[in-house]
Amino acid sequence: MLVNWKYRPRNTIIQRLDPRARLAFMACMIIAITTLWDLRIVIPLFVIAMTLYLLARIEWQDVKRAWFFILTLVSIIVTINLFLGARGGPPSVRNDQSPYLFQLATFTVPGVGWTFNIGLTVNKLMFVISQFLRMMTMAIMGIPIPYTLDPSLYGATFKHMRLPDKVAYSIDLAFRLVPSYGRDFALTVDAQRARGYEVEHLKGGLFERIRRLAPLIVPVVVHAIIAGDEIIDAMELRAFGTHPRTWSRVLHFETRDYVLMVLGLVILAGSIVMGVAQIGADIWVPPFLYELVGA
Amino acid sequence: MEKKNLWQFGTREVVYAAIGAALYGVLSWVTNAFPLPSAGNVSFRPAVAVLVFFGVAFGPWVGLLAGLVGNTLGDALTGWGLYWNWSVGNGLMGLVPGLAAGMIASFVARKDLGVAIGFGLLGAAVGMLFASLTEMFVSGIDFATAFGGYFIPALVGNAVVVVILLPIIMIAYNSIAARVGRR
Repeated sequence: MLVNWKYRPRNTIIQRLDPRARLAFMACMIIAITTLWDLRIVIPLFVIAMTLYLLARIEWQDVKRAWFFILTLVSIIVTINLFLGARGGPPSVRNDQSPYLFQLATFTVPGVGWTFNIGLTVNKLMFVISQFLRMMTMAIMGIPIPYTLDPSLYGATFKHMRLPDKVAYSIDLAFRLVPSYGRDFALTVDAQRARGYEVEHLKGGLFERIRRLAPLIVPVVVHAIIAGDEIIDAMELRAFGTHPRTWSRVLHFETRDYVLMVLGLVILAGSIVMGVAQIGADIWVPPFLYELVGA
Repeated sequence: MEKKNLWQFGTREVVYAAIGAALYGVLSWVTNAFPLPSAGNVSFRPAVAVLVFFGVAFGPWVGLLAGLVGNTLGDALTGWGLYWNWSVGNGLMGLVPGLAAGMIASFVARKDLGVAIGFGLLGAAVGMLFASLTEMFVSGIDFATAFGGYFIPALVGNAVVVVILLPIIMIAYNSIAARVGRR
């Protein structure tokens, strides 16, 4: 069991971008898309996100597990939400008066008189497609980050985003400690196996099986804390925190970073303007769908 | 006993926040990559007990950073991407137990273990509620889906882990607490 970063240098335009520009653009896109439901706007944003993802040139072999997980999770959540009435969306879905594409059953709860219609209306169909694309756009913006952002740059990135030295250094240190703890965990698993502990065959009920994970977790945690004391001593001996820290990795914006950030700001400003003007904040139904159901 | 300043963020806190985050990230990765048996759609992440412990032992800032950075690390190791609201939710799950740090005098006394578990459960509720409710705005789901699809499974899984594993970690830590200047 080896802890490996997903990051690999790939010589792509995405990896040549400044991490701050990428995070800023991602923030703009996420904020923008959370305010919009109209597919005529959601689809272009999805295409932008997909284009950036493809430009990152991440190998399918590396990312297929993440895709499977995200597609499953998004599909389950969208389906649950649809089953519960597709509420939570824009006004035309909350007060849905549109015709049914199909209707499987209608039933009334005895006693309370609540009526449920199991089926799919025109508005709900467009809502589900829009919701799926919105969630996927956000996921697609996030997926490439671990694969394309050098772990040694996280601390410097946040420092250059004006986070306090101590917080940025803590982030930096956390990333550097990961391989050591991954190795410690693997060693602990091996040591416990040598004592007859069967990781794959934990016996007992669910609670008992969780309790039996303690021999794997406790040694790693205790060892990390003891070793941490030595790190603290070393840092204090070097007067950590008494002066502003210097960083070996210095980030500089290039023209391409400004272009990306301006694009992000344009998308964000556009979404705010559309939100104020009540454009794109509701679902869009293509006219042929109404013709399809004869409405 | 020396009065503890809950909100202090010196060298000690910088290092323990980094350690907590790295441990939370690595242990989350282990159960992300090799899931434990689960009940329904409730999954169990033993790493949550480690996160709550770092909050209880070293204070709210350590808990916050350990959760915030640790969740990002876990997702980075697994390759699932970056989900800001779940990282903030995990940060809150570490911060709230950190508020109990000043009340913990012993890591083996029943009363203190009870306080730690109580704040751990509160943290799990607050953190997962934040993450689940923000999904309403982020994903456009309704309250019932956020509550039933995200919050309840996450809370139940984390609560079970906190109740079972947190006392074990605290009792184990008690033997080295004096050595690392915590008693």
